[in-house]
Amino acid sequence: MNENAGNMKVKLPVTVIMFVLGLFMIVPFLWMLSTSFQTPAEVFNKWLPSSLNWSNHIRVWTGSHDFVPYYLNSLKISIVGTVGAVFLSALAAYGFSRTSFKGRDGLFVIYLSMMMVPPQVLFVPKFIMFNWVGIYNTHWALILPAMFSIFGVFMLRQFFMSIPKEITESAFLDGAGHYKIFFRLILPLAKPAIATFAILDFSWQWNDYENALVFLQSPKLYTIPLGLQNFILENNVDYNGMMAASSAAIIPMIIIFFVGQKYIIQGISSSAVKG
Amino acid sequence: MKRRSWMDRQGWIGMTFILPNMIGILLFFIIPAIYSFVLMFTNYQFSNPNWQFTGLDNLKRLFHDDNFYASIKYTVIFLISVPVSMVLAFIVALFLNRSVYLKGVLRGMFFLPYISSGVAVAFVWMLLFQPSQGPINEMLRWIGITSPPGWFADTETAMYAIDIVQIWLMLGYNMIIYLAALQEISTEQLEAARIDGASTFKTTWKIVWPLVSPTTFLLMITGLIMTMKSFSIIQAITAGGPSGSTTVLSLFVYKTAFSYYDMGYASAISWFLFAVILVITVIQWIGQKRWVHY
Repeated sequence: MNENAGNMKVKLPVTVIMFVLGLFMIVPFLWMLSTSFQTPAEVFNKWLPSSLNWSNHIRVWTGSHDFVPYYLNSLKISIVGTVGAVFLSALAAYGFSRTSFKGRDGLFVIYLSMMMVPPQVLFVPKFIMFNWVGIYNTHWALILPAMFSIFGVFMLRQFFMSIPKEITESAFLDGAGHYKIFFRLILPLAKPAIATFAILDFSWQWNDYENALVFLQSPKLYTIPLGLQNFILENNVDYNGMMAASSAAIIPMIIIFFVGQKYIIQGISSSAVKG
Repeated sequence: MKRRSWMDRQGWIGMTFILPNMIGILLFFIIPAIYSFVLMFTNYQFSNPNWQFTGLDNLKRLFHDDNFYASIKYTVIFLISVPVSMVLAFIVALFLNRSVYLKGVLRGMFFLPYISSGVAVAFVWMLLFQPSQGPINEMLRWIGITSPPGWFADTETAMYAIDIVQIWLMLGYNMIIYLAALQEISTEQLEAARIDGASTFKTTWKIVWPLVSPTTFLLMITGLIMTMKSFSIIQAITAGGPSGSTTVLSLFVYKTAFSYYDMGYASAISWFLFAVILVITVIQWIGQKRWVHY
């Protein structure tokens, strides 16, 4: 139902109420920003800084434990991981939806059931395995698993299945093989779904804390979530610095959110409603 | 000449599409899962190379472990956040669906916590809930509550404080999905009820709520599962404390494995976690047929 053409007498006050509630939702972010610009004396005592004190932010980026390496690490892992995941998931999704071979559907059921396994089950064996192979405490321990996404295969397969068969049928009749069809026909058509998955996956990578916590030990390898925690452990009464560091960690996600909001929301609601 | 369908052609090539992804899934999901399952029956400790199969000892130990039962209790408290968040999200979605201007902006405001989840958010909440100086207790004192709760610092309230953060986090997610479901409801049914004289509240309760019951069901199941797996928020804010009063199952696994290096035992706990998730999923399968109005 879309009854947004309601009367103004109802809509205006409801809008106001919703805005107030919405403000409650984002108050933590506002408070974080505000504190990051304050001086130590103002923390907790004033809601707004009397003047914009940039020194906290500057310290986060250029001080002795600055954030730049963490940012670079996070970028590297998230980008490589997401690119790999998109590519490999798209390939597999095509295989599961638009080709046919014996055992295809059974294999897919196995894939699906792996989605139920909580990450906690896999931490210990991966920890042992990675140590044995020598990639523990390297970025590969994070990047490699990140490139294999079951959710990605699931979501893209869903989308590929909705592409009409006639389109590929005629290409087949013209003699094209699966690979040609995949790269020339299917991929271009799937751009919105791929964009959605890429944004979602990137945001999960970026925010990932568990894997980094378990598999990284050297501070110079830390990603942003770990770096943030480290920063806070070392400066634990420096609340302004803490909030400045937190803002630095969150801002990229907020930007991605505003830019990709349409895709993210669409991706989440469609995979849930149909799932 | 028998005409083979377009998909059957070069079927084996289909396998090559899946192969790269499958190798990774095998290496990073299936093999570790099997490994973990085996580990459950050993007394493997990472620091000690000597280990042996101990059969069901770990499981027996689990049943007598007070910490295990404690973590189940905390997990249950944690799970309360799921229905609470869903109900609030439904109400918000109702309003956002029909009676507001600037719907897009509002939707973004409610969804922002979910997308920016993580350690940064955890620390902000840590400061907001600071017992002596934080803004939340400041406000509580301002309205007359002389000794506000200690939130994360108090063993009695810590888990509930976590719940509040979790509700805040998940509200946007639940709301988005309810919004999508509400869009699907046809106006005719509502109009018919209106003409018959039903009030808005009655319409909502008797017609809309049952109509979104598939969504409610889905959100409950996925919410319970996601919350059971949830680790980062709690670890970042309290690391399971104070005095272990926020050590839910997922943290219990982590602590056992990486603070005590008791990996066989940790595997057993993690498989218990899996078993619970499995049971919830099975309930979904069955329940979907019985309780959901289509």
